[in-house]
Amino acid sequence: MAPLRSFWKPEAGYSNDMSTSRLTLADRRRRGVLDALVLVLPAIPFALVFGLTVRESGVAIWLGWSSSPIMFSGAAQITLITLIGEGASLAAAATAALVVGARHLFYSFSMAPAMQHQPGWFRWCAPYMLIDQVFALCVGKRDLPPADFRHYYLAAGLTFWSFWMTFTALGLFVGPVIPVGLDISFATPVLFMGLLVTAIDSWQKAVVAVFAMFITLVLLDLPSRSGLLLAVILGIALGLLLERVRQK
Amino acid sequence: MILLTIFLMGLGSYAMRAIFILALSGKTFPPLALRALEYVAPAVMAALVMTMLVSPGGDPVPALREVAGLGTAAVVALLTRNHIYVLITAMGVYWGLPYLI
Repeated sequence: MAPLRSFWKPEAGYSNDMSTSRLTLADRRRRGVLDALVLVLPAIPFALVFGLTVRESGVAIWLGWSSSPIMFSGAAQITLITLIGEGASLAAAATAALVVGARHLFYSFSMAPAMQHQPGWFRWCAPYMLIDQVFALCVGKRDLPPADFRHYYLAAGLTFWSFWMTFTALGLFVGPVIPVGLDISFATPVLFMGLLVTAIDSWQKAVVAVFAMFITLVLLDLPSRSGLLLAVILGIALGLLLERVRQK
Repeated sequence: MILLTIFLMGLGSYAMRAIFILALSGKTFPPLALRALEYVAPAVMAALVMTMLVSPGGDPVPALREVAGLGTAAVVALLTRNHIYVLITAMGVYWGLPYLI
């Protein structure tokens, strides 16, 4: 089992023994909100850009914004609305957006074992919120007791959801008010890098991560970010292969 | 028609996120799947970080300040495992580097 770590700091008094957790469910919710807020800040420019994308596309603004609650998938929404605005056929725009969103299949797979211990209603609700940031935060919490995991997940997910609904709407009217020179968006890859490093607990995983980065760069020009999908699949295959090597 | 497309896309987005969670809820995972699962998070997060830095058709190599910022993030995360330190140092390098060079 991977050691348990919180987003901020190692959990006080928390060993690998689940029963020693001193955090209450309310603590979990608070942490979920706080952790999500740290990732919300750098995502603000992205949300505002989506509003601008809708305006420039010529799609009715209420219609463009409706994709926020209906899809709740930033990159796929931008792809869809941009392509519609450029006059692509709806089928072509939808296909591209689906390919962009296909990485969520990996999140679903990765979360499936932890979800087995959850009540049915949560298994149906949780996927709606399973965006990049929620996955990045919660994948390291998979080994928590089910109730702790659920409260953390819901708190982080709902925080991000509220933000996305509000700021994509705001973006329709104010445009990108955050000065581009400030460049806070870079904090998202930085935090993801931090979460990535703390999730690595074997040399095989480290090799897989570096390899996946490299393949993503090599396959950058494949359409609709499909290079990312291939990089992940090849990365997983490499990881399994490396385990074999060690066993021999 | 656009509303219908968005609605179908919503179904598609949900389906992609839900499929394994719902389909495998009562199943026992074969050992190979469980081992493969271990590598999903490192691979997908590493790939995500890269796609955030470079855009298709653009320069396939991230800028120096981005590489330096991410390198700092990785090292600080490894040493401290504290994401606030990661954020402060990496953003410091990212914002400060252009003034130094």
